[in-house]
Amino acid sequence: MYAVHKLLWDIRREPALADRFRSDPDALLDDYGLTGRERDAMRGLDVKSLYDAGANPYLLYFCALQLGMPRQDYYARIRGERP
Amino acid sequence: MTATGPASGTVQGRVVGVFATSHSPGMTGFPERADAAQRDAVHDAFAELRCRIQALEPDAIIAVSVEHFSNFSLANLPAFAIATAGSYLGPVTAEMAAFLNIGQRRYPGHADLGEHVYRFALESEFDPALVQGDFEFDENFCVPLEFLDPRSRIPLVPVVVNGVNRPAPTPRRCYEFGRMLRAAVAAQHSAPRVVVLATGGLSHWVGMRESGQINESFDRDFLGRLSSGDAARLTDYRQEQIDEAGNGADEIRTWLVAAGAAGTGFDILTYEPVPAWLTGTAVAAARMP
Repeated sequence: MYAVHKLLWDIRREPALADRFRSDPDALLDDYGLTGRERDAMRGLDVKSLYDAGANPYLLYFCALQLGMPRQDYYARIRGERP
Repeated sequence: MTATGPASGTVQGRVVGVFATSHSPGMTGFPERADAAQRDAVHDAFAELRCRIQALEPDAIIAVSVEHFSNFSLANLPAFAIATAGSYLGPVTAEMAAFLNIGQRRYPGHADLGEHVYRFALESEFDPALVQGDFEFDENFCVPLEFLDPRSRIPLVPVVVNGVNRPAPTPRRCYEFGRMLRAAVAAQHSAPRVVVLATGGLSHWVGMRESGQINESFDRDFLGRLSSGDAARLTDYRQEQIDEAGNGADEIRTWLVAAGAAGTGFDILTYEPVPAWLTGTAVAAARMP
């Protein structure tokens, strides 16, 4: 989970990284060494999977907002009210 | 450099006031969403606190809060940190400044007092992280200070307690840290009159499914313990009990630091469970002897 947390934190801090995540996510995920379920969840910004896997809620929420996910969407997704 | 220990012929430092408040972004960022009576009660309590702090004429404020990953990360997350810079940028980004409705500025720091408190902490067998610079504020300090020192005139010594990633320091350790702060203030004279201000809590959930809920019974029970000033009751929390009031309730640790620094009970100036601000919102002042 550290690599996920590092990426969540870095995206919030570094606008250029958010742009890279949108334009070329696989290269970025390679750089962070993300594989398997964590990679899939991060690639699809599947906040519910990341939340259920124990991601820090502050880091997850802030990163989702930084990437343009509306607050209500974030909460609806982690509650399983929206895919 | 600051002298430590009793200094003959000079005024000893003294903690002249201890206060604790919530730091909900909504209080400055979207006050209009709250029920008017609740909003007014909270704003009135802050106005009262501002008057009290002004009247105390403090030379410095030791400001105790968490920081919400604006500076620290899981690569290096201090349990406690003491900042000793000469100034601090806040809010950390223009984006956050707009969200909080607070103009970006540099807040003054009291470097001498900060260095002294850091050294005193180590001599007292506490092991905080040292933060000499590159430390920026989020709602932790910006929101309460917008009410309490809107012109940013009083120099600050920021103290950070981890309240954003578990495990976090025990309640007893936080209380003892506060006692140490009071002793540290008494062992210097660069800042004769010092206010301790804690910010955070009470019940709220950030980024969690329960966000929007408020655990009023937890909050009122906590405030009862705070009012009593009974250290044993105040520190008698297991993490599972705090969990019932959300990850944001981890921030009551900052209030426990304040309680240790005060060594006495608090008057609760206001408590309002404000759903629109997602937070059990309180303002309290220690009954200083």
